[in-house]
Amino acid sequence: MRTYEVFLKREGKDEFRHAGSLDAATPELALVLARENYARRAEGRLMWVVDRADILTADESFLAPNVDRPHRHNDGALVAARRRAQRESS
Amino acid sequence: MSTRTWHDLGDPGDLDGFVAFLAEGGIVEPGDPMPDEYRREVFRFIELHANSELMGGLTERDWIPKAPGLRRKMAIIAKTQDEIGHAHLLYMVASDMGVKTRDQMLTDLFAGRSRFHNVFHYAAVTWADQVAIAYLVDAAALISQQAVLKVCSYGPYRRILKRIVAEEGFHMRHGEEMLLTFAEGTEIQRRMFQEALDRWWLPALQLFGPDSKPDDELITFRIKSEPNEVLRDRWVQKYAPLLTGYGFTVPDPDLRHDPDTGRWEIGEIDWSHLKATLANAGPDSARRIGDAARHWADTAWVRDALERTSARAA
Repeated sequence: MRTYEVFLKREGKDEFRHAGSLDAATPELALVLARENYARRAEGRLMWVVDRADILTADESFLAPNVDRPHRHNDGALVAARRRAQRESS
Repeated sequence: MSTRTWHDLGDPGDLDGFVAFLAEGGIVEPGDPMPDEYRREVFRFIELHANSELMGGLTERDWIPKAPGLRRKMAIIAKTQDEIGHAHLLYMVASDMGVKTRDQMLTDLFAGRSRFHNVFHYAAVTWADQVAIAYLVDAAALISQQAVLKVCSYGPYRRILKRIVAEEGFHMRHGEEMLLTFAEGTEIQRRMFQEALDRWWLPALQLFGPDSKPDDELITFRIKSEPNEVLRDRWVQKYAPLLTGYGFTVPDPDLRHDPDTGRWEIGEIDWSHLKATLANAGPDSARRIGDAARHWADTAWVRDALERTSARAA
């Protein structure tokens, strides 16, 4: 038995989403089980089934360097403050 | 970015910090260093849910050959597949918690060492029982599951519950449709459902369990959102009037509708039945566990064949 992760994509603009996991003896059976467990009522138009062992995983420590990067965001606060000041002075 | 995970905070020994993290809506993922108490309690809850879906699915299965008419037979086959599917999904989520493997959970279940919901410890005598289960028990299960989904702090369980709750909605409608057939049927049909209701009202009511303790860990750990008595009352307020409205009698001599508050008040609940089922000593427990174990043994050849295919493919 191997563990697989199942992803489904609905009709339309949505992205692929993780649906859940399953244990299956072969890739072919993994596809059938994925259909019968996760797409029983046509919940997706496309499906990816991936062997869990083939997924590269990065944890929070790997992603951490990009958490504190305020210069990559601009919340517009400075511009808003400036406009407000202009409005109030006019 | 406001999304914190417990992984950042990191100390599984810091139970107070962890509880505060959960109280703010924190979500726990399988790789996170969760406190042992949390892992144990959440695992137990999911294992109970998984076992109950499996035992419930097997109850439905018993009725497939006896379902009246092809349409109902197809609907009940679909429902059985749904329930076994739910068990499958839940056993995956539970085994990823690293407490027991799926095989260990099944072995424990078939050996009578683990628990499943009280309602699956009783015999379904006629097709009307099956309808009472689909209507009343599935409704009770749905109310409990919706309450879990509201706050559920364990990520994988939360995601799987969404799917389960959606499918239980189909089952409810299926149950209500069959109930209508009985309610609008002949005198014999109405009597049949009344007898089933007499058998199933109390077990369904007790599915919610006795009143929650004030320090219920499952509420602290954000698995349950509301105490048992609140959920039970929600079910009573909804189903007592529905059943009475269809002209059936709720088997509780003290049940009354308070015209001032508009509420349905029930009588004292006898919990001795629930205690027996919790010890796997309900009226039908032994047969059900024995049947489940036999089904599992009878289908061993399928699993063996799959394993051999898998070995050959490797």
